[in-house]
Amino acid sequence: MNSQDLIGLALRNLVRRKTRTLLAVTGVIVGTCAIVVMLSIGFGMSASFQEQIESYGNLHLVNVMSSGGGNMVGAGMEEEGKFSTLNDKAIKAIEAIDGVEAVSPKIEEYLTFGVGKYIAQASVIGLRPEVMEKFNYKIQDGRLLKKTDKYEVVFGNQVPFWFYNPKKTMYAGGGDKPQVDVLTDELVMTGDYEYGQKKTSAVTDSNTIKYKLYEAEGVGVLDNPDDESAYYVYMNIETLQKIANENKKARGEAVGRDNNYNQAMVYVGDIEDVSTVSDTIRDMGLQTNSLNDWLESMKEQARMIEGVLGGIGAVSLLVAALGITNTMVMSIYERTKEIGIMKVIGANLPDIKRLFLMEAGMIGFLGGFAGVLISLLLSLLMNTVLLETMNMFLGSMGGGGSVISVIPWWVAAGALAFATAIGVIAGFSPANRAMKLSALESLRNE
Amino acid sequence: MKSLIDVKNVRKIYRMGEEKVVALDNVSITIERGEIVCLIGTSGSGKSTFLNMLAGLEKPTKGEILIGGIPIHTLNEEKITLFRQKNIGFIFQAYHLLPMLTASENVSLPLVFRGTDKKTRDAMATEALESVGLIGYEKRKPSQMSGGQQQRVGIARALVGKPKIIFADEPTGNLDSATSKEVLELMTKMVKADNQTLIIVTHDRSVASYADRIVTIKDGNILSIEERRPEENEK
Ligand SMILES: Nc1ncnc2c1ncn2[C@@H]1O[C@H](COP(=O)(O)OP(=O)(O)OP(=O)(O)O)[C@@H](O)[C@H]1O
Ligand SMILES: [Mg+2]
Repeated sequence: MNSQDLIGLALRNLVRRKTRTLLAVTGVIVGTCAIVVMLSIGFGMSASFQEQIESYGNLHLVNVMSSGGGNMVGAGMEEEGKFSTLNDKAIKAIEAIDGVEAVSPKIEEYLTFGVGKYIAQASVIGLRPEVMEKFNYKIQDGRLLKKTDKYEVVFGNQVPFWFYNPKKTMYAGGGDKPQVDVLTDELVMTGDYEYGQKKTSAVTDSNTIKYKLYEAEGVGVLDNPDDESAYYVYMNIETLQKIANENKKARGEAVGRDNNYNQAMVYVGDIEDVSTVSDTIRDMGLQTNSLNDWLESMKEQARMIEGVLGGIGAVSLLVAALGITNTMVMSIYERTKEIGIMKVIGANLPDIKRLFLMEAGMIGFLGGFAGVLISLLLSLLMNTVLLETMNMFLGSMGGGGSVISVIPWWVAAGALAFATAIGVIAGFSPANRAMKLSALESLRNE
Repeated sequence: MKSLIDVKNVRKIYRMGEEKVVALDNVSITIERGEIVCLIGTSGSGKSTFLNMLAGLEKPTKGEILIGGIPIHTLNEEKITLFRQKNIGFIFQAYHLLPMLTASENVSLPLVFRGTDKKTRDAMATEALESVGLIGYEKRKPSQMSGGQQQRVGIARALVGKPKIIFADEPTGNLDSATSKEVLELMTKMVKADNQTLIIVTHDRSVASYADRIVTIKDGNILSIEERRPEENEK
């Protein structure tokens, strides 16, 4: 008996007993919907986690820090492949890791910017200007840094709003527009925290320390209103290092060795690789942190929730499996005579078994198919109607997710396969029973 | 002619709790290829039991059954079904057509189990239905046909795969005498045309006139075997 005939015969038998088939299929539909919808809510949760965390910063980034105490170990004593400090060699080694697209050492210095009477204080991040583009910084106005830039700076989206006139107000009032145009106006920067402010009579640092004033040029504003890079200013690491050293000198502090950085930023092309890259870097003896670490633990939680929800769904599909078994057993009682006839006129025993397995599998498949379709519809409704009402009542407290339910294709496919498999499994014992029925006794059955 | 079926000292006892029923006592017979054998006897004499055993539907308590040299009483259930599929056609008193299938589908069912492809099978089924005079009834369900028509579908189904042996257990038992005659003539004619062996069970002595040999069974034993000259058979 070939498969096409088998399918044809099985289909006819199902159609012949419409009500019973429909009931069994409905059971599977409910079970499949339960699994898929439950799981989809779990996936929706992890999607909104990710969305939320992404809004805090760049998930592709790994921050690397030296583990400290590096000064104790001479460069020559370092173990092969191990780095206690973040030097150029370490940066090269990190660059060589699979999945890493760009690396830049990173330093930070708190500087004051001045435009005429207006000033703003901000953390300036120094990095290799040529990697900015690879780090996926997006520009709103102007351009990103380029290799030849020295005193050119790129502002985070929010920084221009911080400029204020200290002689008039105590701090920047939140206006719709910045008071200065950082891209065209003449810009200076200095390590002097009190630059541009009213001189007080008290003896302060700036009265005694002579900080240098640098002419700077704003070349770009980032397009990133939400994540943390909106609150920083970016410039060439070498120039910033120079400024930092000069500031230290002005304060009379010792200047550290060159090319020994405290931090570096690593850009990983695929978010999935972030944790392995982090591990590799940690194995080098360095410390890392990334938003991804956090995301991972949240995802872990989400997976647990998915497991519980999916388990609840699976139970209802198991109940459906009992329904299928029951349907098939009843069907065998009704069809005993037919089974006898088929055996006498030449059906092989495995054919009989396959026929019943096929019917049970079809119930599973049809139920799974309809169940997946209905789940997709339910998911759509949840993400539109339900989400809207939820946002209406909860406002911004709703958690900020833009989806409630997510159904990845493999969940849909998996649910379909699972429902079919459940059907086949549920059909096993009835099918064996049908196969073992005595042909002669079945024939006598009326 | 060469012997096709060899039955040696077959005995069949049904056990029902303490009680034993001897359905067949001690039966031996040889049936040749192309023969039409008629089994007659009173009700409960063991005719069906004997036929079912020849078809491998039941195993003898004692004795041997060889078909084409194969000891079918030793084959397991799976082998015996395969053997039946290839060599045996069955015609039932109650027709036993599958209700959800059309006439043509019922006829081609044995071919479906053999794995014959649809095109060949449809052609063979049409031919078989044609030879039983049911052209135009291909798409009818059993419930839409008379008893005689259903039995003709049953005959077409038994013969479609050209099996060597056809068993018929009271094929005309549910038909009126005119229809019985038609059906019997049809069966014997078709079987003779293909040199098939037909073993037919009946209580009806008039059926016997179509047979080469009439075997009378009584209380589980062969009472007499009446030979008929093949020429007498010809109409
Ligand atoms: N499965 C069974 N269990 C117990 N006894 C049985 C069984 N099948 C048949 N018998 C008995 O065996 C004997 C022979 O039965 P069988 O069916 O062969 O008779 P038959 O000649 O075909 O009769 P009929 O002409 O009425 O069909 C009967 O006494 C019957 O009661
Ligand atoms: Mg009988």
